[in-house]
Amino acid sequence: MFELEPSEELAILVETARNFADGQLTAQAREHEAARSPNAAALSAFAQIGLAGLEVPEASGGAGLGAVARALVGEELGAGDPGAALALDSLGPVAAALLELGGESAFSELAEPLLEVPGSRAWLAAPGDATLVRDGGRVRGVVPWVPAERVDLLLVLEPEGAFAVTEGIDVRSLPGAGLRAAGAAELHLEGAPAVALRADAAASARALGRARLHANGLLLGVLRQAVEFASGYAQERVAFGRPIAHHQALAFLLTDMRMAVDGARWLLWEAAWRADAGLDFAGSAASAFVEAVEASRLVGPAAVQVLGGHGFMQDYPVEKSMREARVLGLLFGGIDAAREDAGRAWLAADLPLAFSHGEVL
Amino acid sequence: MDFEVPSEVRERLADVREWGKAAVRPAGLEADRNGAPLPVDHPYFVSCLERGEGCTRWPGIGRKARPSQPGATVRTLLLAEELAYWDRGVIIASPGPGLPEGNVLSMGTDEQRERFLGPFLEPDRPRWACFAMTEPGAGSDAAAIRTVARRDGSHWILHGAKCFIGNASRADWILVQATLDPEKGRSAQRAFFVENGTPGLGPFKIEKKMGLKAYESTSFGLEEVRVPDSHLLGGEARYERSAGFKTAMATFNAGRPVIAANAVGIGRAALDEAVAFAREHDRVEDPRVRDRIETMARRLKLARLVCLRAGWLADRQRANIVEASMSKALAAQVGQEATALGMELLGLVGGRGDHLIEKLYRDVKAMDIVEGTGQIQRMIVARQLVGLPRDRG
Repeated sequence: MFELEPSEELAILVETARNFADGQLTAQAREHEAARSPNAAALSAFAQIGLAGLEVPEASGGAGLGAVARALVGEELGAGDPGAALALDSLGPVAAALLELGGESAFSELAEPLLEVPGSRAWLAAPGDATLVRDGGRVRGVVPWVPAERVDLLLVLEPEGAFAVTEGIDVRSLPGAGLRAAGAAELHLEGAPAVALRADAAASARALGRARLHANGLLLGVLRQAVEFASGYAQERVAFGRPIAHHQALAFLLTDMRMAVDGARWLLWEAAWRADAGLDFAGSAASAFVEAVEASRLVGPAAVQVLGGHGFMQDYPVEKSMREARVLGLLFGGIDAAREDAGRAWLAADLPLAFSHGEVL
Repeated sequence: MDFEVPSEVRERLADVREWGKAAVRPAGLEADRNGAPLPVDHPYFVSCLERGEGCTRWPGIGRKARPSQPGATVRTLLLAEELAYWDRGVIIASPGPGLPEGNVLSMGTDEQRERFLGPFLEPDRPRWACFAMTEPGAGSDAAAIRTVARRDGSHWILHGAKCFIGNASRADWILVQATLDPEKGRSAQRAFFVENGTPGLGPFKIEKKMGLKAYESTSFGLEEVRVPDSHLLGGEARYERSAGFKTAMATFNAGRPVIAANAVGIGRAALDEAVAFAREHDRVEDPRVRDRIETMARRLKLARLVCLRAGWLADRQRANIVEASMSKALAAQVGQEATALGMELLGLVGGRGDHLIEKLYRDVKAMDIVEGTGQIQRMIVARQLVGLPRDRG
């Protein structure tokens, strides 16, 4: 039955995530950004509410939830602070991706150890993210940027497979353009041992799709927050005798920003639903990511624009939103790789949007 | 959360698809080539009746209306998309009580339903009705209409002019929106049934359009047209209780996501043609071609989901003002983008004037104009989101 609302169970989860973001992330965002890490209170509160184990299989002590849950929670945490959201969650985008690649056995072998180590981080490099060369069981090369101060597990996706690196990762700190609450670093691998995963092209594509959904949820939250902040500001700020939101040029801009975010949300939710329903979802996830990144190109800068000079100042959050949104859109191959994958997926269908399948699209 | 379309709806869509391919699109192409609306005696219209279309939803005197099915609006939107995929102009040309039916059902008296919808219960021939709001000086600003209604004993006299009215010259009756006092704005507006052939109604001028040629968009005068009291929609007492303008706006509200779905359907037709063209010319490996197709498909899917969201809210009797207007603003824009990208993909073939995408490019433009332009939709959304005041200044 066609139903566009999350289940009651998920609604409670969303509420939990929203309360956490309101209490521990939003007001602390500048502090976390400066410290390049969430504070101790946020870390301990996050551990208590159980959001860290979202995709962790129940066998490994997690909630075993899927992509819809991740998208919904990601939006709430992203609206608070996407950098902190990444830092708080050891496994981050790697959890769901690893499950696609190696199932629960790979998960318990590679990921579970991180759950025992406070502050540990896992990251994922998609094809094109890095110049990594695998030579036998060793890997060399550079990942130019990861939003992390340490990396305990690096999952590397290749077009036809995947491998993992757990040691020999040289982490060199960077200033970071955005997501600084998660830290920023360049990774150097000089013959680090690579653990091959038994994965084919399809599994690799699904893993990448999962990672895109993860980033997409956070990105959507950033964009939502930017629109809400700019809309609120524009109703307060008076120029030429009326709130600036009531000048039609800005009223329409704010409307277009809101439309862009709402539209992107539907593509994300549909792709996430497909993943949970066991349908092909890699193309949909790529498409949703393209849309969110395109939306961010409007919303990020426009939110700053609405605030004018104030928007440019770090006293307001919109400049941060603009930076965070921009760099979230660079992750996991960025928009070009997503567009490529989405385009190929559409063209693999006989009639791309016909109602020939057992679903909307 | 579940995006699956119920199997009953999918079956209906498959049926529409067959019908669309066999009858709807050929009729639309014919009208486009001829540059004129399908004539009243066109066999397509007879075949509509044979399919059981062109009838009223009104069950007849003393009969109970069928309760609306769960998900009825979502279903309607999916069908509206599929029908427009085949030819949106032909759908509007199709016989039936059309746009004013909802108003007559919700506001009309029993006598009015029997008189004006009765002939549509089992129509003996293709019959049409239409709703006339737009005027040369009142498009999106529907409160500005100047067609005047004045009392004359037990009758009303209507005087003014209407334009761009769908199916007007072939309609059995026209529901005409008029004002008792142009200075009093929306609350002074009323709707009147004017039967075809009433002295003073006409002449009908069938406009030449850029696209959607299959149905007539007609302008006409109302020269001291005399109608009895009983032709005031809902009767006089009704207006003492509520403002007249709301009637018209209610119709518009229900219609927005349908227009949006139409735009998606037209855009999707362009997408399929573009994909076929790219395959035929062995260009699917060209990244520029693939990127255009990716954009078309992604944006159309998005617009579809935004439409369905508006419908889903309506099915739950939840407020959908923002979503309905957003769907219309967005889908019309997306439809235009998709057809324009399709034209780019065709290259010079798009300039020939005989490719379906070229027709769709012309057709879809109207989706950003009818039932409130994209700008009007943004104003409606902005009122809700940032409290944009209604009045100028």
